[in-house]
Parts: sequence; structure tokens; C-alpha cells
Amino acid sequence: MTTSDVLILCAAGMLVSAYLMVGQKALFATIRLYGLQSLLLGIVAAVIAVSEARYELFVTAVVTVVLKAMLIPWFLMRVIDRIGIHREIEPFLNVPASLLVCLGLTVVGYRVSTGFPESSRGVSHHLVGVALSMLLTGLFLMVTRKKAITQILALLTVENAVFLVAVGVTSGMPLVVELGIAFDVILAVLVLGILVHRIVDRFESMDVSRLSKLKG
Amino acid sequence: MVGGLALTFGLCMATADQFLGGQVPAAFANALRVDGLSALVLVLCGFVGLLSATYGIGYLRRNEARQLVTPRMRLEFYGLIPAYVFAMLLVSVSNNLGLLWIAVELTTLASVFLITFHDRDTSLEAGWKFLMLGSLGLGFALLGTVLLFAAGRGALGEGMTALNWTRFMQVAPELHPFTLRLGVVFALIGYGTKAGLAPMHTWKPDAYREAPSPAGVLMAVGMLNGALYCILRIHLISKASLGPEFSGDLLLKLGLLSVLIAVPFVLIQWNLKRLLAYSSIEHVGIMAVGIGIGGEAGVLGALLHMTYHSLAKPVAFFSAGTLAQLHSSSDFKRMEGGTFNRAPVASVLFVIAALMITGSPPFGLFFSEMTILRAGFLGSHATATSIFLAALVVLSCGFAFQVGRLVLGPPRHPSDRRVPVAEHFDLGMGAAIVAATLAIVSAFYLPGPLVALIRAATQVVSGGV
Repeated sequence: MTTSDVLILCAAGMLVSAYLMVGQKALFATIRLYGLQSLLLGIVAAVIAVSEARYELFVTAVVTVVLKAMLIPWFLMRVIDRIGIHREIEPFLNVPASLLVCLGLTVVGYRVSTGFPESSRGVSHHLVGVALSMLLTGLFLMVTRKKAITQILALLTVENAVFLVAVGVTSGMPLVVELGIAFDVILAVLVLGILVHRIVDRFESMDVSRLSKLKG
Repeated sequence: MVGGLALTFGLCMATADQFLGGQVPAAFANALRVDGLSALVLVLCGFVGLLSATYGIGYLRRNEARQLVTPRMRLEFYGLIPAYVFAMLLVSVSNNLGLLWIAVELTTLASVFLITFHDRDTSLEAGWKFLMLGSLGLGFALLGTVLLFAAGRGALGEGMTALNWTRFMQVAPELHPFTLRLGVVFALIGYGTKAGLAPMHTWKPDAYREAPSPAGVLMAVGMLNGALYCILRIHLISKASLGPEFSGDLLLKLGLLSVLIAVPFVLIQWNLKRLLAYSSIEHVGIMAVGIGIGGEAGVLGALLHMTYHSLAKPVAFFSAGTLAQLHSSSDFKRMEGGTFNRAPVASVLFVIAALMITGSPPFGLFFSEMTILRAGFLGSHATATSIFLAALVVLSCGFAFQVGRLVLGPPRHPSDRRVPVAEHFDLGMGAAIVAATLAIVSAFYLPGPLVALIRAATQVVSGGV
């Protein structure tokens, strides 16, 4: 297997995990899928680090795996355990229809990715295509789901997609910036976790479709 | 806290002064750099930070007098307001696009707990919507930043300086057009969400209603200016590489949409602070239209508008906040019955503020709006400017209707027993009066250094580096 095969395999795995998140209702499984997705992102970064001899990308890979594949899933699972809600309720659109929509979004993502310049690495096109499809899928997940935790996971999927673009097209942003961004992400997840706690305390549910008093 | 923020404001002034003295203060390999635009936004942020902290202490004392404040809330308040101001100042001096993004994200995180400060059902809702929409916007802005970086791959070089705005401006002709376009669109939408440009404005009314008034001012002025600063930086990169039409037209459309979307909501509004939020959506729209029309006149109008808006908006928030505290709510139905009879000072201040923010002569916002309109009619945007003008007129009338209803409405029914707290003079009131005096004076006289800053900022925006 060549380097580009590994990269394409990982990217495809990320897209598949995003699809599975759309088709999944158990919250634990959704969180594990997010963890898997982040792990694959870490592998993509590590493979590029080796093949292009850009060793600062290793730091990115390690930070991604530790933070997004372990710490954030662990934190979210703890939140779920504490509040004791384990399943997503019926989304606004049922699963088969959702998957069809996501298929359409993938086509759109790939179409847009053809406008990028051909770089030395031929797989860059695939990485961007997958990333844009994941971005759209994440957005879709965000608007159709009702549970606060699923919305957070959708947001994190969008964030993973942005990172895939970053490692795929540019071989990574400057290191200081990436560390800052990683720090901000973990802070955001903590803040979101606290908010979920407060919402559950108050409404005895984390169904965000109940948050609909403010209008006009 | 006031002392600290006064010191901060002093430092902002000193930095701006250093800039006017002909230097370009920079630090950390140019990651922080102060040019005309930064200096203007920096001074305005420092000013608003000081003002809102002063008012904030009075605000908290009033709530303490009514036993509404727990020790934890005190701690939150005194911790979060300076953190928020710090993050905004960091935004205004960032020259590095990555650092800029991080600073904007910090402002978001600092403001979430200010929005949920009162811990009501509705404030949780507002906080959740704000954080979800804000994070999504920031995700887009990050993607935009990554794509901008990708567009300049090879030309920008390596390391920390590669993301510097000044570096982007140097290599602008070599940026890859398609990637750049995509990046600019994502970044403008992303930072536009933070600025509250339609159609990503929906968090604003909720957040403004729930946040305590001092934090509301920071959002409505500081955050708005900061987000506009980001938008301007992206716009300038796009302008240098693709010409002024691409991002200019996008901004013009978004701005026009913001002004138009505010119209129906101002007319049917039921809450005082939400009214102010729609006014703020209108004003960010006006600034975006000014930048979109472009040319030196359009940009000058937009930056003048930013300055005058920063002076006028605090008055509106302080007086509205006082009225809301006296009635324990900012809903019109709780405040009905002519607030003038119960709180004459706050009501008069609010009327003055309303005159200012609807752009009535002789106040400053009138001149800046005229400048933008003139630039629009003289340029090639006659249709857009006509629609814009019509929307502004309707908005002024709508605002006048709402304010009249609130301040002069018929007296309450005698059987109504909800007695509001009486108005009395305190620190919060003092801050409101000082803010109003400054805003009125600014209509007739702007201090020389401030004018110089506005000119320098205009030059940055309309003339490249």
C-alpha cells in the first residue's frame, strides 16, 4: 500500500464515520464514531508528516489524537452518564431520507473541490472533497438533530472537516496557531458541557427544540 | 475593575499616540501590529470597556440592593468583563490571521457566561443559540483562514509570519484566485456571524435581551467593531488580489439585507433590548454598505459611523438598562404607562440616544449616513442606495413610534399594583450622563487626534497598506 492509498483510505473512513453518525441514534455510539473520526484525522496528519518530512505535523497528530480521540469523547461520555440520557429522539428527518440528502451533499462537496489547484500530492483533491462533504454533513446533522450532545458532535465534525482541509491542502498551519486553535476547541467543549448541564438541570431534558421561547 | 480598565484605556491612547507620532508599534514577529485601523478600533474598544465597567458596577450595586446577586455571580461578573475586554483588544491589534481567529473565539467564550448571567430559562436558550451559531460561524471563519493560507501556499513562506496580514498584502497578486474566493466567502460569512450581519444575525436579539446591560454594550459596540475589523482585513486581502468588486459586492448585499431585515422586527418589537439589538443589526448593515460602496468617501462614512455609533450606543444601553432595572423587565408590557413620569432622567437620556441612533441631525450618525448615501449615489450603486435610504427612513419612523409609545404612553390603570422602583442618582446613572454628554459634544467637536486616527484608518482601508 502506498502513502496515498493510506491517506485516501483514512479520509474515506472519516467520511463513512460521518455517515454513520447520521444513521445512529444511540449517543454513546455517536461519540465513539466521533472518536474514530478524530483518530483517522490524526493518522492522516502523521502519514503526511512522514511522507513530506514535516515533523512539526507530528505534534498536530499527537494533539489531535489525545485531545479529540480521547479527551473530548471521554468528557462527553461522562456528561451523558451523569445526566442519564442515552438515545437521540426521532430526528426532524428520518434516517434513510437523511442519508440520501448526505449523498447529495457529498456530490456537491466533490464538485467544489475540483476548483483547487493540482498540487504535487494527487490525493489532495480527495482530501478536500472528503473534507467539504464532511463539512456539509456536519451542518446537516446540526440542523436536523434535537439533542444538545448531538449538536455538539455535529459542530465538532465540522471542526474536524476544517482540520482535514488544513492538513490536506496546506500541510498544516503554523504550529503556534494550531496549538491555540486546539486549546480554544477544548475550552469550547467545556463551556458547551457546562451549558448542557445547566439546560438539563433546568428543563429536565436536553432536547434543544424546547428552547424556543425567544422569537421576534 | 474601573481602575484597571482606566489604565487599559490610557494604554490604548498611548499606543494610538505612538502611532500618530509616526511609528508602527509591533511585537512578536509582527503578530501584533498597530496601523491606523487597529489604532481606531483599539481606542474605541478601550473607551467602551471603561465606560461599561463603570456603569457595570452601578448596575451590580442596584441588583445587590435587591438581593439578586449571589457571591458567585459577583465573581463571574468581575472576572468575565475584563476578560471580554482583553479579548476584544487582542482582536484589534492582531496582524496574524490565526491569532485573530483565536482572539475572536476567546471573545465568544467570555461572553457566553455573561449572556447566561441571570440564569433564567430564556438566558440558557439565548446562551445556547449564541454559542452554537457563534461556534459554527467561527468554524467557517477558520475554514476561510485555512483556505486563504492555502491560496498563498508557496508565496507566503513558512512559520508564524506566513499568516501575517501584511505578508498576505505583499504577495496578494500571487494568490490562487479560486481558493482565495472560496476562502474570502467563508471568512466573511464567519466573521459576519460575529458582527451580526443578516442572515446570521438571529443570535443577536436573544443575546442582547438576556445579557446584563453592561455586557450588552460590550457586545453591541466592542464585539461589533472587532468583528468588523476582521471583515475589513479579509476584504482588504481580497481587494488587493481580486479587485474591489468581489468582496465589496458581497458586503453590500449582506449589509443591505441586514438593514432590510431589521425593518419589520423594529415595527413589531415587544422588548426594549431586542429593539436595540435590531438597531445594532441595522448599524452593522450600514457600515457594511459603506465599505461595500467603497471609494474613499464610502470607507470614510463607514469608519465615521463606527466611531459615532460607539459613542451613541452606550447611552442607549445605559438608559434602557436603567429603565429595565426599575421595572424588573425589559418587556414593553411591563414598562407601559409612560416611563417619563417615573424615571425622567433615564427617559430623557433614552430619547436623546434614540435620536442619535436613528441618525437625526445634528448628531454624528446623521453625517456619517449622509456621507455613505452621497458616496452611493455618486458611485455606481444608485438602486442599492435608494433601497437603503428608504429602509433607513422607515426604520427611523419605526423607532420613533416605539420610543414614543414607551416614554409617553398613557398612564397605568389605577388598579395596577406593580410599583416600579423609583429612580435615584448613582454610579450607573452618572456613567450614562457622562456618556450622553460625550456623545452630544462629539456631534459638534471631535478631538484632533481622533480625527487623525479616522483619517489614518480610512487611508489603510481605501489605499492598501
